[in-house]
Amino acid sequence: METFVDVSVCAVPTWTAVMINLLIRWSWRPRWIGARHFWFAFIALSAFSVCRRLWFSRSSKAEKPSTYDEVDSTSAVVDLRFEVFESAKMADLDRQIEQLKRCEPLTESEVKSLCLKAMEILVEESNVQRVDAPVTICGDIHGQFYDMKELFKVGGDCPKTNYLFLGDFVDRGFYSIETFLLLLALKVRYPDRITLIRGNHESRQITQVYGFYDECLRKYGSVNVWRYCTDIFDYLSLSALIENKIFSVHGGLSPAISTLDQIRTIDRKQEVPHDGGMCDLMWSDPEDVVDGWGLSPRGAGFLFGSSVVTSFNHSNNIDYICRAHQLVMEGYKWMFNNQIVTVWSAPNYCYRCGNVAAILELNENLEKQFRVFEAAPQESRGAPVKKPPPDYFL
Amino acid sequence: MSSQDAAPNPINSTQRVKVYRLNENGKWDDQGTGHVTVDYVERSEDLGLSVIDEDDNETLLLHRISSDDIYRKQEDTIISWRDSDLSTEVALSFQETTGCSYIWLVSYRVNQTWTIYVVCKGICTLAHLAVSLYGSNSIYETFHSVNTELRELPPVELSNLPLILKTVVESGMADHLRVTELILHDQFFFRKLVELFRVCEDLENIDDLHLIFRIVRGIILLNSSQIFEKIFGDELIMDIIGCLEYDPEVHHVHHRNILKDQVVFKEVIPIKDPVVISKIHQTYRVGYLKDVILPGASDEPVLANLNSIIHSNNAIVVSLLKDDNSFIKELFASLKSPTTSTESKKTLIHFLHEFCTLSKSLQMVHQLRLFRDLGSGGIFDIIADILQSTDKKLVSTGRDILILFMNLDPNILRSHVSLQEGVLFGVLVKSMLTDFGDDTHCQFFEILRTLLDQNTSGPQKDTVVEIFYEKHLGQIIDVITSSCPSNGDGQIDSKSVSSDEGSMSQTRAKPETLLNICDLLCFCVLQHPYRIKCNFLLNNVIDKVLYLTRRREKYLVVAAIRFVKTLISHSDEHLMNHFVENNLFKPIVDAFVANGDRYNLLNSVVLDLFEYIRKENLKVLLKYLVDTFWIQLAKFEGLSSISALKVQYDQSLESTGTSSSGSLLDKRKRIDERALEKEEEDYFNEDSREEDSASANTDTTNNGESLPPVLANGSLSNHPTPRSSGLVDYDDDEDDDNFSPRPIKSKSDEDELGAEYVLKRKLASKEELEAKRLQRSMKGLKPRGVLKALCSNLSEAKKTAATATLSLPQSDANDDSVKPNIEEKGSLTSSDQTQTAEIENHNQKEEVPIIIFADGSNETVDNRDRGDEFPLLPPNSSPEMAVRGS
Repeated sequence: METFVDVSVCAVPTWTAVMINLLIRWSWRPRWIGARHFWFAFIALSAFSVCRRLWFSRSSKAEKPSTYDEVDSTSAVVDLRFEVFESAKMADLDRQIEQLKRCEPLTESEVKSLCLKAMEILVEESNVQRVDAPVTICGDIHGQFYDMKELFKVGGDCPKTNYLFLGDFVDRGFYSIETFLLLLALKVRYPDRITLIRGNHESRQITQVYGFYDECLRKYGSVNVWRYCTDIFDYLSLSALIENKIFSVHGGLSPAISTLDQIRTIDRKQEVPHDGGMCDLMWSDPEDVVDGWGLSPRGAGFLFGSSVVTSFNHSNNIDYICRAHQLVMEGYKWMFNNQIVTVWSAPNYCYRCGNVAAILELNENLEKQFRVFEAAPQESRGAPVKKPPPDYFL
Repeated sequence: MSSQDAAPNPINSTQRVKVYRLNENGKWDDQGTGHVTVDYVERSEDLGLSVIDEDDNETLLLHRISSDDIYRKQEDTIISWRDSDLSTEVALSFQETTGCSYIWLVSYRVNQTWTIYVVCKGICTLAHLAVSLYGSNSIYETFHSVNTELRELPPVELSNLPLILKTVVESGMADHLRVTELILHDQFFFRKLVELFRVCEDLENIDDLHLIFRIVRGIILLNSSQIFEKIFGDELIMDIIGCLEYDPEVHHVHHRNILKDQVVFKEVIPIKDPVVISKIHQTYRVGYLKDVILPGASDEPVLANLNSIIHSNNAIVVSLLKDDNSFIKELFASLKSPTTSTESKKTLIHFLHEFCTLSKSLQMVHQLRLFRDLGSGGIFDIIADILQSTDKKLVSTGRDILILFMNLDPNILRSHVSLQEGVLFGVLVKSMLTDFGDDTHCQFFEILRTLLDQNTSGPQKDTVVEIFYEKHLGQIIDVITSSCPSNGDGQIDSKSVSSDEGSMSQTRAKPETLLNICDLLCFCVLQHPYRIKCNFLLNNVIDKVLYLTRRREKYLVVAAIRFVKTLISHSDEHLMNHFVENNLFKPIVDAFVANGDRYNLLNSVVLDLFEYIRKENLKVLLKYLVDTFWIQLAKFEGLSSISALKVQYDQSLESTGTSSSGSLLDKRKRIDERALEKEEEDYFNEDSREEDSASANTDTTNNGESLPPVLANGSLSNHPTPRSSGLVDYDDDEDDDNFSPRPIKSKSDEDELGAEYVLKRKLASKEELEAKRLQRSMKGLKPRGVLKALCSNLSEAKKTAATATLSLPQSDANDDSVKPNIEEKGSLTSSDQTQTAEIENHNQKEEVPIIIFADGSNETVDNRDRGDEFPLLPPNSSPEMAVRGS
């Protein structure tokens, strides 16, 4: 019923417009006989398109939303159908978000279609994604779903508060799938309200070692979901720039990148490489004792000192860098005379580190406020029970 | 008090304690310092703790050990409790942590009653601490010797349950072994326990049932394989599972009912061996126990042990079944039999899947043999059959079986595919392309990838690749053409594609399928650079792949562009000329321009492509890009990569002007040296002159002549490419009056830096070419393709060096020192196999044209021109090449 109302609301004004058009044209109808024929043909065509349009609006109710790659029909019809699809999609998406908020994973096919939608959105994002204030910046989550819910409690729900997540959504915690899918669903639902950028754990190699792969295998019985998710990881943006003043990235800086413009020419749709600029953005760490660049004990990326940050901030005209990637017991930590800040959003990391977490809230004027929070008390620490197969042959 | 006589103190200090009492003000009063002992309280059966003052031998404390759990441990050295006799809190502060263990040991000698455990609950942990601290010293030995004195378990009776629980649960690590031993020694222990359980369950004696639950869980946590063997036997396991139903913390779940009534054991082919059946049941139940009943309670070692039980059971079952010849025969017979109903066929397939899955538990050799047997038994035909069914679940089961085969050894499937001329192959390709609704194609894509992978060994791999290229690639390309909107000017009709199944009624494929196809093509480019080049050049496939740039989905556009980059990253001159001739960058530039100023992935990918061309200094493409598209690109000049492109173009124009005169000198010198090879030289000159005159007429006619008819599709006339004078200033050349940049194409892909080399080559002897080839194959060592990422890093490193604003401590800003580092790293990080394969491919690619070149003197010009398109060359013209090529 609702869709019907939607359709008629859209259809009626256009139809009226066409009718008025017809009236006007009738009064101006040409006298010459050839032109009159031509005119009649034109009128017939318009009438036909109106009928066709009404027909489509009827049939589209029954039709399931599928790919909308057909561009051949008139643009008005497409727009109309598109709207109907979109509203159905949104309702479906809202249901999925609600389901994910209860920490219930989606089915495999739902994950697949969600990922495809996300792909279309993410492909439009830039390597340095522009973000407007006010925004709340969050660091690593690492599959600690209930702690992320705590984060949303502290920071506000997603469409009301704008969020920027600095990567590392998966691995280590028990609920990587639910965590990442919830964030992704929110991204698809509110593309302008939430920004996700890539962390070093959003990678095929790393997730195979640190738990996301195993979790997918355990919860779905196959690695398809892992495949869809890791494919999406490739599309995630590399960094964000808030109001041209705050540069946000998961890891840190790279010797290969001295200006933000250099990030632009990276084809980010690839597995996180072992070295090079893209790798460093996700792996590097700031370090007090290092001057300039140093070898990173992580085996990828670099350590960088205060002089590097100073020159980077200066040459790109930014106030400070905001990054995650490193556990800080207090949730956040300023370094190098307030030129770089680490934000960590996984409280009691790995369920045993005993740290608190923080998010950084920026208001319209980019005034900072850190909100510190602790781990969710009710989180069940045990891995969820696996369902036994209903029958067996061997 | 006789305690000191009964148990002389070895070290006084360890028994030294301070006694405290809590006074009314809530403060601890020091009662004095003394030595603590454990003994019977006089005139009673109970045990007591007594502390004798070290100075005056007075009794500071006499405490009757309570069976209630009132004792607490604070820090490492304090034990406190609320003393009911004194009605106040009492605390003992030990001087040393080891003291606690002594208390326990001494008291243990005095009295072996189990009640002592109660008091030692807190002390126990301290004792362990002491043991772990002092390792194998005397304390540990005494401790251990005492332990073995735990001679028997309390008899299994209802009244003893708490005691048993304490024995099992509260025994220390070292006790585990002893308790295990005792439990195993007592043949009737479990039987009695189970009987008790049944009685309790009948009486609904919940408290004791909880106790039994704890005991059983404790026993399982002892993690002894022998105990597992016993309790998972057919007689006991159901009762054990019954015991585990009574978890006090979780509400009651009727696991036994689930196992008995809800779970179905499907016996598709009757199994005769009772051992097998019992193992099958046991495996399922143990798995159930592990996954459903005990997931939270059990720790890692227990899980590992249970897994190994399941694993070895599976191995036994599978090997017994596979050795049973009649069983396998029966299975295949009923699978192939037309009388079998679809429903039972389905179950048979599911059985087969489970059978194959479980065979992972076998040893590699046995598994391989089994799979080969299955392969020769005709499993692939059955799978090809079911892959064409409409039942999604069945299809995915078939697919999973295939994946199991692929993971074990792709050669089994390869040999099938190459022998049978691929019923299955066709089905696989079709499955990848067909729309299964929600189902996944990416696994079919994965299977195909493994089939086509060149890095594995196997005799059939080339045949498989051959079949794929001959029969199926066209089909795949058709899917792209049919699902992309036509561009209006009717450039190429899909009918021009030579494809076996042109009739494939392919409607529009889903975007994810197209994405997979793109990935597969990229994979093919990396794996078989030479073969795919022939294929592409012959069929004009690149053009069709680039149809994807017309799709609405940006990720498809991006995928197509990435495919082009993969092609270019081979820096194959021949291919690059192909790009230029067919104006293949047009769709890319169009997409880029249409994208406008939006900074998205498409923008980045195209810029990345341009950067690559610039950094690798691919002059042909650079020239083509700037010449043809600068009008369109000029408005993006604000982007540094675009302006850099132009700068590089201008620079190359300037620099080639000077270097060509150098090459002229070089050439003159060589003329003197190589007078002997005049004949050959003449031949070359003649060739290029003829060609020059051809190219002088028009570009398009030349194109039509030099390429096979398939290519003569008029695509060029649709996109007339404005060509300005080349990168090289050809006017310098006296030999060729109207030299155009075209002749590069009609030669081989030998050239590296463009037309400049063509001049040289005219005079070059075979030796010289040989030398150059050597040089090139050295280049082949450079990471490419798979190591593309490294390459790009290299160029980034160069850039760093150039800007020199940042200093790398571990590598000085110097091209030469950075390069070897990266190469070394590349060989470490990526598999060596890949790299050598790369080099192999490269060499193959390089050598072939040279042979043609050498042979070419006997051929007509036409033939030589076609020689570039290697497959068209008659195989007898160069046997060596034919061997290499196939």
